[in-house]
Amino acid sequence: MTDHRVVLKLNQQQLELLDRTIAQGVAADRASLVRLALREYAAAHRDEAPLSLASEKGAPE
Amino acid sequence: MTDRELIASWVLEPGTGKAIELKRGQILRVEQIEGGQCVDFNCFNLHDYKEYMHTGRTRTLHGLHPGKGHFMWSAPPRERALIYILEDTAQCNDVLFPRCSAHLYESVYGYRTHTNCHDIQAEAQREYGLTPDDVHDSFNLFMHTGVDAEGKPWIGRQRSKSGDHLDLLAIEDVLAVPNVCGADIMRTSNFSLKAVKLSVFKATEEDMSSVPPLTKLPSQRTPADFRVKQIKADRQLRRDTSYAPSFANVPIRISDLAVTLDDGEYALLQRCRIEDLYGDDDGAALRDIVFSWWAERFIPGA
Repeated sequence: MTDHRVVLKLNQQQLELLDRTIAQGVAADRASLVRLALREYAAAHRDEAPLSLASEKGAPE
Repeated sequence: MTDRELIASWVLEPGTGKAIELKRGQILRVEQIEGGQCVDFNCFNLHDYKEYMHTGRTRTLHGLHPGKGHFMWSAPPRERALIYILEDTAQCNDVLFPRCSAHLYESVYGYRTHTNCHDIQAEAQREYGLTPDDVHDSFNLFMHTGVDAEGKPWIGRQRSKSGDHLDLLAIEDVLAVPNVCGADIMRTSNFSLKAVKLSVFKATEEDMSSVPPLTKLPSQRTPADFRVKQIKADRQLRRDTSYAPSFANVPIRISDLAVTLDDGEYALLQRCRIEDLYGDDDGAALRDIVFSWWAERFIPGA
């Protein structure tokens, strides 16, 4: 088992959203929330081909 | 609804539009007489014309073809519901295309003068002292449009019939301005211009109770919140020498958030990453996933 250290560069607004999500009880801390997001996102997109710029669909804002 | 009280009605002839004071709790019915006629629609807050319907916000919330059960929203920073669509029998509306203009017909078709929605809107709005610059992009009623596989928008022929109608319920007091679309050399109205019928009704209690609840948030600002409260009355733009920038959340500060992934999680990251956008930047790829996940989990319909 190897640990992989990944560094996300986030601004204060992005961090605020993570912190508010944590405050709702979704995860214990920022790192846990990121790992949860990765696992859930991967599960939700398990059967999809890898995304590329050419194939992506825009999300509503 | 047979028990609605009729307040007024008009026939809107081809090449014309009409500005109508539509008070909160009143319904404007826009109805096909012959069928197959596109109608452009603008509206303004009757008490503050600087607040007006915004197709961009409306299309973001309701898609390219809003209809029954959707709202017409005003532009930021107001972002209030101005109109609620109570009924839509043809289900053929568009908020993708802008209003047609004289320039379109001159530059593409060579007309010196041609009916066009911008100028018809301007002439109708002139009754209330508004200028051609105050016309905004319209909510296009009875307009059949789409986007092709290459992302190019298209306009198709339409199938609305005599009697098809939209019932537009005013949520706020508005100046409603429908016009018969001037496009007779495009598929928009099946290559002809036809009259449409307009009727104003008093909404019933049942009508009003069908409107979904609306929330009021501090971000829905009013002129009372503006740093500049007066409307400019001159055309020349002049710099305010006392101006000091005051943008929200500036400066934007970047922080590092280190996350340790195990082999399995790292494999998930490699599978889900957008390779041609982020290359070998694991952090950027993971940031994308985090906020994509957030939108999917917490934004309905995302």
